[in-house]
Amino acid sequence: MHLIIESVGFGVATGAVIGLGAVGFSVQFGISNILNITYGALMTLSAYVGLLLINRGVSAWIALPIGAVVVGLVSVLYNRALLAPLVRRGTPPVAMVITTVAAGTILQYVIVAIAGPSSQSYGEQSGQTLHFLGLTLSEGQVVIIVLTAVLMLGLHLLLTRTTLGKAMRATSSNRTLARSCGISTSRVSDISWLISGALCGAAGVALAITTVSFDFSLGGLFLIPMIAAAILGGIGQPYGAMLGGLIVGVSSEVFAAVSNPNYKDIVAFAILIIVLLVRPRGLFGTGSSTRRLMEG
Amino acid sequence: MGSANRWRVCTLVAVATAVLSGCGSSGGSGGSSGGGASGGGASGGSQSGAVSIGVIAPFTGPAAQFGKLLGSPCYAATDLINKAGGVLGHQIHCTSIDDTGDAADAVPNVTRAIATTSNLDMTIGLESNTAATTVPLVNAAKIPMVTTNGLVAFSKNNYPYYWRLTPSDDANGAAFAVWAVRKGYKNVAVVFQNGIGSEGNLPGVRSAMPKLGGKLGLQLTIPADSASYSSEVAKVIAAKPGALIWSADPQTTATFMSEYKQLNNGALPAMITATDSLTPDFFNALTKVVGTNYVTHDVYLVGSSFSQTTPAFKIYKGALSADPKTSAIANVLSAVGPPASVYDGINILALAMIMSKSTVGSTYNSDITKVVAPKPGAVVVDNYAAGKQALAAGKQIQYVGVLGPVVFNKYHNSAGTFAAAVFAANGSANRVGAISGPQVLGLL
Repeated sequence: MHLIIESVGFGVATGAVIGLGAVGFSVQFGISNILNITYGALMTLSAYVGLLLINRGVSAWIALPIGAVVVGLVSVLYNRALLAPLVRRGTPPVAMVITTVAAGTILQYVIVAIAGPSSQSYGEQSGQTLHFLGLTLSEGQVVIIVLTAVLMLGLHLLLTRTTLGKAMRATSSNRTLARSCGISTSRVSDISWLISGALCGAAGVALAITTVSFDFSLGGLFLIPMIAAAILGGIGQPYGAMLGGLIVGVSSEVFAAVSNPNYKDIVAFAILIIVLLVRPRGLFGTGSSTRRLMEG
Repeated sequence: MGSANRWRVCTLVAVATAVLSGCGSSGGSGGSSGGGASGGGASGGSQSGAVSIGVIAPFTGPAAQFGKLLGSPCYAATDLINKAGGVLGHQIHCTSIDDTGDAADAVPNVTRAIATTSNLDMTIGLESNTAATTVPLVNAAKIPMVTTNGLVAFSKNNYPYYWRLTPSDDANGAAFAVWAVRKGYKNVAVVFQNGIGSEGNLPGVRSAMPKLGGKLGLQLTIPADSASYSSEVAKVIAAKPGALIWSADPQTTATFMSEYKQLNNGALPAMITATDSLTPDFFNALTKVVGTNYVTHDVYLVGSSFSQTTPAFKIYKGALSADPKTSAIANVLSAVGPPASVYDGINILALAMIMSKSTVGSTYNSDITKVVAPKPGAVVVDNYAAGKQALAAGKQIQYVGVLGPVVFNKYHNSAGTFAAAVFAANGSANRVGAISGPQVLGLL
């Protein structure tokens, strides 16, 4: 029983990182309607930006927001230079997805060419071990959980209490109508890519801190669980993505604790399929988001 | 080849890839690549013309570099044999037989090669993936085969023409157990990353530990590259092992051990792992998270070993360096066991041919064990030329080559010698003990 309680704590820590990435992915899809597979490579980019800073004596916790800003800006450029022009030309959705796969592969191997294929590490960043309520977490894990919660709160306030947030929700819901209401959808799009890119960057550095050792395949390895979390929660729904991340993290760790850890990675996917069979739009998804995902 | 050695060899393949890509095409010194070599003549029947050594390996497909790399010691062996006058008046050459790395695709290629290659009197089998189909074919054709596969399935077999000088994966596992108990760790936890390369060791550990008076406190298989292994770590800590018998890639190892240290109040059990982990990646990944002191004192690397200071090794290395086909990768080839076993295997079979005065497999096969068996008054030889000379003088010989003494058990497997090493502070390794091959085989 103690092991199960501990594993819930481990799962919350893992789920926070996955949820952070899933939220960014969900925001990005919600605005752009593009299944952006480059997202994984961008997380990897952020991890290596963090490595560059840490090797120069910067704290990992300072490198995290810097990595977030860098990837946020790269995401805006990426959309403006590649994806938006393709969308304007009427590129079919499948071709858009393949384009993002190609761009992600290119970015990944640019990273390899510069940094090499060997595994890298930020070193030990976990700090002291904390025991409370039967849980065992490191200081680093607690920081990531709190950071994720703060970012979620910030995103919630942005989306619900600001004019920009309303514009983002309107654009996500119906781009054409939003434009006709005078919303600058291209500006909203830029800001959305900046925000989602920043979340992606934060997730990349957080992943590198959590896994301790990583290489150029980091983002690609965790992209699928993040997409699964986003779909589980309802694509285009940040809160759903966060909950999806927690479900993925906790289910994996609890399964590893009580059964064969070899299969822990598939437990989350099994849960995803079961939820979608019962509720195809995901836990918090709307019908429009699901339709757009099917079309895209 | 031994699956457990595959990682290390594959790492060396990556190093050799750029060099090999500039080399000439694959194929033997006299034969051709592809499904078979030159046509004509049933194998092993006619004794005129050169003797062909069929190198059965992937020369096309994703594992092509692997085949090129492990097939290369054949050139070193044949160069020296031909320089010493060949075998019973015949020159000897290597012929590539492409098994493509796929068990099903290997069958027609090997079958065709057996039927069409002149004087195919000896074969080398390099691939674990194809061994299940190629070994029976070659055995049915009564052609002795030296193989480097590590499949446990061949640890007990009924193929009289099958010979293996490298340890099987389960033998590696038994060697781990021997070392663990010798160091006083009677309760071990076995943690392997899922994959055939790692899990091949498991039967050996399972078999050996109880026989040595130890126990398997926990056995766990973990997926690679997970974000967290905290739950798995908690399970292992609960088993209170004195040591971990471990096999996983550097990243997985770093993540796991970092969390172990964090959850176990900074304490770590000793680690016993394969010599495949003797890589800069593994050393660096682990050192960064748990510190150099642990890595250089409490991590033991166990695997098959051979000395690089013997005259036999120097002759072998010299032959690799002298042949243009292998000179660029001589350092890579001479660092690991499987290529050396190919070289020694060819020498042993060639000397058996002389001993039996025949190049026909069904005739000389029974002399193979005599070439390596110690006997009173035998001249110990470490190369083909010396062996040929001694036999010509009417003397008994015992071939002790690069891998050291060869002791075949009744299944024609020789595990060789094992050794344990520890990392030095600069990432190289220092040997700290030897483990007897017969002891290891006896525990299986």
